[in-house]
Amino acid sequence: MHDVSRLVERGRSHRRLYTDPALFALEMERIFRRAWLWLGHESQLREPGAFFCTRMAGERVIVVRHHDGAVYALHNRCPHRGAEVCALPSGTVHSFVCPYHAWTFRTDGALASVPLEHGYAAGFKAGERVGLERVPRVASYRGFLFGNLSPQGEDLETFLGPEVRAAFDNLVDRAPDGDVELAGGKTVQRYRGNWKLQMENSIDLLHPRILHRSAIDAADRVDHGGEPPSIEWDIVKANGLTLREWDGMRVAALPRGHCWMGGFLTAAIDERARDTPYYRRMVARHGEARVREILSFNRHNTIVYPGLFVNSRLAQIRQLQPVSVDCTEQHGYIFRLKGAPEELFEASVRMVNTNNSPSSIVTSDDHEIFERIQESLAAGRHEWVDLSRGLARDDAPEGTNEAPMRNQHRAWAQYMQG
Amino acid sequence: MIAASLERWHEVQQFLFREARLLDERRFAQWLALFDPDAEYWVPYAWQQQSPKDHVSLYYETVKLLGMRVDRLARELSPLDTPPARVNHYLSNVTVEEGEGELVARAYLLFVEYRRAEQRWFAGRSTWRLRPAAGDFRIAAKRVDLLNADQESGHLRFAVPF
Repeated sequence: MHDVSRLVERGRSHRRLYTDPALFALEMERIFRRAWLWLGHESQLREPGAFFCTRMAGERVIVVRHHDGAVYALHNRCPHRGAEVCALPSGTVHSFVCPYHAWTFRTDGALASVPLEHGYAAGFKAGERVGLERVPRVASYRGFLFGNLSPQGEDLETFLGPEVRAAFDNLVDRAPDGDVELAGGKTVQRYRGNWKLQMENSIDLLHPRILHRSAIDAADRVDHGGEPPSIEWDIVKANGLTLREWDGMRVAALPRGHCWMGGFLTAAIDERARDTPYYRRMVARHGEARVREILSFNRHNTIVYPGLFVNSRLAQIRQLQPVSVDCTEQHGYIFRLKGAPEELFEASVRMVNTNNSPSSIVTSDDHEIFERIQESLAAGRHEWVDLSRGLARDDAPEGTNEAPMRNQHRAWAQYMQG
Repeated sequence: MIAASLERWHEVQQFLFREARLLDERRFAQWLALFDPDAEYWVPYAWQQQSPKDHVSLYYETVKLLGMRVDRLARELSPLDTPPARVNHYLSNVTVEEGEGELVARAYLLFVEYRRAEQRWFAGRSTWRLRPAAGDFRIAAKRVDLLNADQESGHLRFAVPF
């Protein structure tokens, strides 16, 4: 169908990766239907019948806890005529009833009843394909739920690998009670560009000082009037490291296209943390040495290919939901650390408002650039996008090296060829 | 709170029109000066959102943060605002209630934005808490509830405040 092997070269990739609708359809098939995709968190499914809706590879799914405690991911599509069965984003139900002809499904997807059942042959209800189709595999890592649309392939823990698991571990370990809950709603930022643009941007440490200059300059001009700066200011200001400082940041390219980058938020955030009720509560639970170990986990984003960003320090997860080859949604979620003072959660909420709302003065500039890239890649004779920075140092990349992006594109080629 | 007199209603409405015009004409410093130093500017993410503390917001800003935001727009360095957005804030259905040292104004908002070959429209309901100040008013709090605040497919980025 496509000779995808020729689209990714060492140090450059073809513009069709960003613009070709046929390749996008193939990506859904070969990447998003094979990788483990994040669904949500077990805290959203406390009691039997609790559910929430999300999407996998563009398809709507319901994630629900059955009365026996098992979690199922069900395609949100009536097997009868194709109507969306559940229109609510979340809630608790006894069963799912299709609004069109009242086909009724149990929370494990099995068909419970249809009206005037004698209209079908005997044994109809026991047949295949009459229930809500189940996503073949659902698994949980420390409360984080993932689904896989392929019945075969490696298990979730192998897919994540130790370095990505460490990010989820750290998010949970930062809770004094050792548990977190998804809370506070979510943000959805939409941009008219390919999903890979955000994947690359999130590990692109050369751009912040340059692209976000207007926000950094505005932060520099704020007069705090002797008061401590706000957490929102911190997060904007933190982008203003010098290019050399960004270059000195640690980045790591991992198997399967995953990667992570070191922490860059101003030291002030950590210093302030030491004299807080949160810190004292953590020490009371875990002892000083262990708490220092947990809090010194110095990473910003851990990026799970093909579209998840885990930030344990901000208790935040973002997920890309590709809509089409030139349109992407970025969903931002926050976690409440159980046992931590409520102020900590409120600070996480404020940081997400600042960074990942459509009104953000930081990511809005990223998305503006993505759209300009998308527009210019869509036409013209220039076939290639350059990703050659630091090509000779793939094994030990400096902060601004494009090695993690090349690593993403290698993973893309591997998925796409299979 | 009781319904304000016709005269008061007129004064407040003129104040709201002036606020809208300052935004539309990109006179951001003057717009900011309409707010009390401890004012809050809030655009909820959820419909009928109760609190900005325990749930995300489209905007939830102190005057200091708003100042940083409009300072950025005023200097025209941001790709987001290059070329600058042109906006109109239309206000209608204005009502004013008056209480002890404070007024509450409500209006329907139609926000139209043009930028880079595209025009967008947002509809919402705006609420102001106002304090009388030397023959004029100061904004103690402004809240804008967009009809599609929680639109499932998300929003493209915002530049000029609602």
